[in-house]
Amino acid sequence: MDCREFSEKHLAFVDDTLAGIELVRMQRHMAQCEPCARQDAKIRRALLLFRNLPPIEPSMGFNDRLKARLQEAHENDMLLETTRRNLTRGAVAATFATLASALMLAYIGNTVYQTEMTRDVVMPPVVAVATEPDLTPITISTPAIVASASAGLAIWPVALFAEEAPVRFAHSRFELAKLNR
Amino acid sequence: MANIVRKQLIPAVGPTVRERLQAMDDSAVVTAFLGGEERAFSELVTRYQTRLLNFVYRTIGDREKAEDLVQEVFIRVYRHLHRFDRSKKFSTWVYTIASNLAKNELRNRSRNPLVLFQTVQKNFQDEDRPLQFEDTTSRPDDMYRKRHLREVVEESVAKLPEHHRHVFVLRELEGKSYEEIAEITECNLGTVKSRLNRARNSFAEIIAPYVD
Repeated sequence: MDCREFSEKHLAFVDDTLAGIELVRMQRHMAQCEPCARQDAKIRRALLLFRNLPPIEPSMGFNDRLKARLQEAHENDMLLETTRRNLTRGAVAATFATLASALMLAYIGNTVYQTEMTRDVVMPPVVAVATEPDLTPITISTPAIVASASAGLAIWPVALFAEEAPVRFAHSRFELAKLNR
Repeated sequence: MANIVRKQLIPAVGPTVRERLQAMDDSAVVTAFLGGEERAFSELVTRYQTRLLNFVYRTIGDREKAEDLVQEVFIRVYRHLHRFDRSKKFSTWVYTIASNLAKNELRNRSRNPLVLFQTVQKNFQDEDRPLQFEDTTSRPDDMYRKRHLREVVEESVAKLPEHHRHVFVLRELEGKSYEEIAEITECNLGTVKSRLNRARNSFAEIIAPYVD
């Protein structure tokens, strides 16, 4: 064993966790190597001093203070839990309120929209079509009056019309004559 | 924690309960507490308060702050014990909490350079010392020598780098296994061994001139 190996295994050597053979090898090296033996003694002595430091004890009021702090912590936890529970309840209530409000708004909105829809009925534009006047000359006289009477007009205007018919026809014939001329 | 319904599982006969709790191992005491036996927590405090105080004190070097941190450890244990994985060792869990708090304290202190390890350590007054340390059979010069030696040892530990000191205290003072130290410090086993080896050598070098 060389000094490097001794140094590497020294931790386990001090802690007594080395296997039997290794332990003997370490002891043999120490017997042969004075610096390693001195280093071993130095470390063991230092550790002995540290391990024998008198332990400190908790001060007189330690337990009372701890009890008070535990009580305080317990109360804080309880308070926190109550607050959390209340917050949860509040959150649930708020959610319900929000949902209800949303539903109400949706309903109102829908109603208003529908009313506006019925008020402003958009109809397709009406296109007026003018029919051209029939300019063909009337040649047959009497059956025209009968035909007009059957078109759904009231009887008395038809009768009036019939009285004036010869005059009208005379006029029209006269005008046609004029045009022909 | 708060929502666990506390009920008296063990008959309320004072000394018997205490004796029974004392006879239990940590795991059983934890189970008793989670089952509603509030006195089980006092048993845990009794078991760990001195050990944790020494561990934190040797790590941060401030006795008053160490007490505050140990109390904080117990508050955290009380609050989160229901979350503790009972397949693991309770002591490792407690030391992990203490270790993290001590590390935070050192980190905070490093941001405030006015508070130094040695400075606060010297604030440890004579009247704070436990009675058992006052050996009345010793002669005054012996007592002085012992006090001086203690101060030298504490100052030497304080000179170790933080991550070395942490591992060193856990091993040499608390007697934790390498595996436990690895779990507490969240390092791998190799790192723990390497740090411990270096810490031992450094400590021996620092203290040698005072004791030779």
